[in-house]
Amino acid sequence: MGPTVSRRAVMAGAASLPFLRAPGARAGTPGELTFGLSSFPPSIQPWQNTGTAAATIKLMIYRGLTSYAPDGSLRGELAESWQPIGTQGWEFKLRDARFQNGEKVTSADVKWTIEQIAAERSTAYFRSEMQGVERVETPDDRTVRIILKSPVATLPIMMASYHLPIISRNSPRGTSVGAGPFMIKAQERGVSLELEPFTGFHRAGLPKLKRIRAIAYADENLRVAALRSGDVDLIEYVPWQSMDAIAADPALSLDTVDGAFMFLVFNGSRPPFNDPRVRKAVAHAIKRDELVRAAFFGRGSPLQQLPVAESSPFYNAEFKDGWKYDPDLSKRLLAEAGHAGGISCSLLSTAQYGMHKDTAEVVQQHLAAVGIRAELNMPDWATRVAIGNRGQYDVAVMGTAADSNDPDGIANFIDGSLSPSYVRSFNLKIDRITELLAAGRAEFDQAKRRDIYREVERIAIEQAPMVGLTWRSQGYAMRKQVTGFKNLPGALTFYSGLTFETTDVA
Amino acid sequence: MLAFAARRLIVSVGLVWAVASLVFLVIHLIPGDPAELLLSQGGIAPDPAAVEELRDRLGLNLPLWTQYLDYMGGLLRGDFGLALQDEHPIVDEIALRLPRTLELVGAAGLIALVFGVPLGVAAALRAGGMLDRLLTAGAGLALSVPVFVLGTLTVLVLAQHLRLVPAGGYVPFARDPGRHILLLLMPAGTIAVGLGAVVFRVMRASVLEVLERDHVRAAQARGVSPAGIIRRHVLRNALTPVVTVVALHLGSLLGGTVLVEFVFNWPGLSGYLVRSVESRDYPEVMGIVLVISALFVLLNFLVDLLYAVIDPRVRHG
Repeated sequence: MGPTVSRRAVMAGAASLPFLRAPGARAGTPGELTFGLSSFPPSIQPWQNTGTAAATIKLMIYRGLTSYAPDGSLRGELAESWQPIGTQGWEFKLRDARFQNGEKVTSADVKWTIEQIAAERSTAYFRSEMQGVERVETPDDRTVRIILKSPVATLPIMMASYHLPIISRNSPRGTSVGAGPFMIKAQERGVSLELEPFTGFHRAGLPKLKRIRAIAYADENLRVAALRSGDVDLIEYVPWQSMDAIAADPALSLDTVDGAFMFLVFNGSRPPFNDPRVRKAVAHAIKRDELVRAAFFGRGSPLQQLPVAESSPFYNAEFKDGWKYDPDLSKRLLAEAGHAGGISCSLLSTAQYGMHKDTAEVVQQHLAAVGIRAELNMPDWATRVAIGNRGQYDVAVMGTAADSNDPDGIANFIDGSLSPSYVRSFNLKIDRITELLAAGRAEFDQAKRRDIYREVERIAIEQAPMVGLTWRSQGYAMRKQVTGFKNLPGALTFYSGLTFETTDVA
Repeated sequence: MLAFAARRLIVSVGLVWAVASLVFLVIHLIPGDPAELLLSQGGIAPDPAAVEELRDRLGLNLPLWTQYLDYMGGLLRGDFGLALQDEHPIVDEIALRLPRTLELVGAAGLIALVFGVPLGVAAALRAGGMLDRLLTAGAGLALSVPVFVLGTLTVLVLAQHLRLVPAGGYVPFARDPGRHILLLLMPAGTIAVGLGAVVFRVMRASVLEVLERDHVRAAQARGVSPAGIIRRHVLRNALTPVVTVVALHLGSLLGGTVLVEFVFNWPGLSGYLVRSVESRDYPEVMGIVLVISALFVLLNFLVDLLYAVIDPRVRHG
């Protein structure tokens, strides 16, 4: 007869289990980083936009012709230099870089990449932009000339996008071989990804890390708890309510930038918001300081003009109070527009994301104070997107970041000539803005570009195709042992994944 | 008996089919376009041509009835289809996640029974006494605390402040059994608190009711020891309603552990279902609901069998 185990012993053993600490449960192994993602990437298709979590992983495994330095300046990546060819094209000189399959990155790979993105059955984010390429010339392995149908001064910036990595033309079917600093070693769908360094990465001595384990923590509070308990070394999307506590913790550091922003869009296809006076009345009715406090725990700043970062050479200080809080002006504008008795309208947002919901609730109160009675409609995000695309609303709350720190990055939000989309006002076309945006895109002279975008902002302040509300802090938090990781400035915050190549854990 | 089982089977299959059809209809009728959503993550406006291309590729431009027939045809072949988001086989994902949810729900049920049944009996035997009043009050408290509050508190105290356990997550049993059990105990324990309180209350009421029955009095008159009466005459009779209640709760927990899975980062079926609904991944939603409803039907069938084991009268008549 074998040894017997009493019921009491079993119960005692079970009760003590929670107090056992499994070895290796903590982060903190030198050279190995555990990264708390905000969600598991739905897919890691190199050229599709599948969200910022996917973008961060893409920045680990892929690289484009250009990218951004930690200070946010444009730098060469697979291309070591570039220059315009007249006004219709750009020439890129490739550096001696290799794909993760060991093959050299050549001009043929760049040409193949552009052709794949522009293909008829492509679902790539930059499909229409790449369809604007007339031809791609490859005079030699290290030189690629991209000839465009019309001038695009911002092509080198576009080439830095995480939606435009260069992929090996010899990638096995169904896979995409890139030239980034890390390679996916294993993944458990919906749970975690494990990455190992690519030893042939083109920057000597990089990456520094021996391993990255990216674990998805959808619950923001759990993500913070995982960092504070030492389960992970670094987290993204730090919730605003936790920023003060993290900043005060001597074991942790917090890196935030005002990168993303909240704004309002309008239905321009019907009264009353087809009238710029009514849109301006909304713009001047919002107390943005209160909004920053209520929705973002004070972690942000008021946005009373177009969302161009103050550090940008295209920032126009003269418009910084363009839509400042002025309820008397709001009421006057409403009266001028024939709505002295106030108006009733719908205010679309979503209950799925706290920042959208809280922003809508505060905006509703402020609008009521000037006589705009807004009825909230807050379905789930999927429904909100569908309603926005169909224009079934009067005013809607939106939040996102621009494509880049270049002012062309905000064209998406104010160019009414683009197809209907929930990210911009519905059917609200301002021809002069569309013309100026096209001119800015085609202009190579920086001084002239600054003039063009100043004029764009002047018109936007008057016509209010969108109304800025707040910049919101976008934060990464990490243990003090983590070095080399940097939150990139302004709209580039979601490009911070580039700095995983210089990140290390002591 | 065979005819009865066959009738039950037909009804069950019909029920599962009705659920699958209803879910198909509802998920297609509510607003939200999976292709648009997939390509507009992060508040970005996608190229309409790319969205249209993706809709074509995913078969979303086909008439609804064609999509329905395709889907049902696939089901008959045992094919749940591919996820719209990344074309991953849905069967594989369900096969991966279902055991985790079953394990979580099973562990929660076990903990609830281990604590709820003996405490329920103890409280009933001392009805009106101090122990009974304390346990009843405790059960009331346990029932009134929402699982997400309890879960968050557990993480806050045990993981963040005391640093005794990891802040949620999942490790396969084969990789690290100790850590697997550790990570399982927190969400299972959180679910078990409420479920255990239910078991306690049902058990207590049931024991009190059985204690009043004639056969118990007869046993007492025959001089059977109190422990023998409880074991042989009270417990088996009192367990029937507990089994019913636990089975019903476990069935609803199959798709209802979402809050606990979320708070503890447990990658089970409930969280998968919510994410699928959010992204309008039609085949995923239908596959998961189908599996959950089939399991629910199966669970009810098993409960009927269990009745027969506990109560011979069911077996014989």
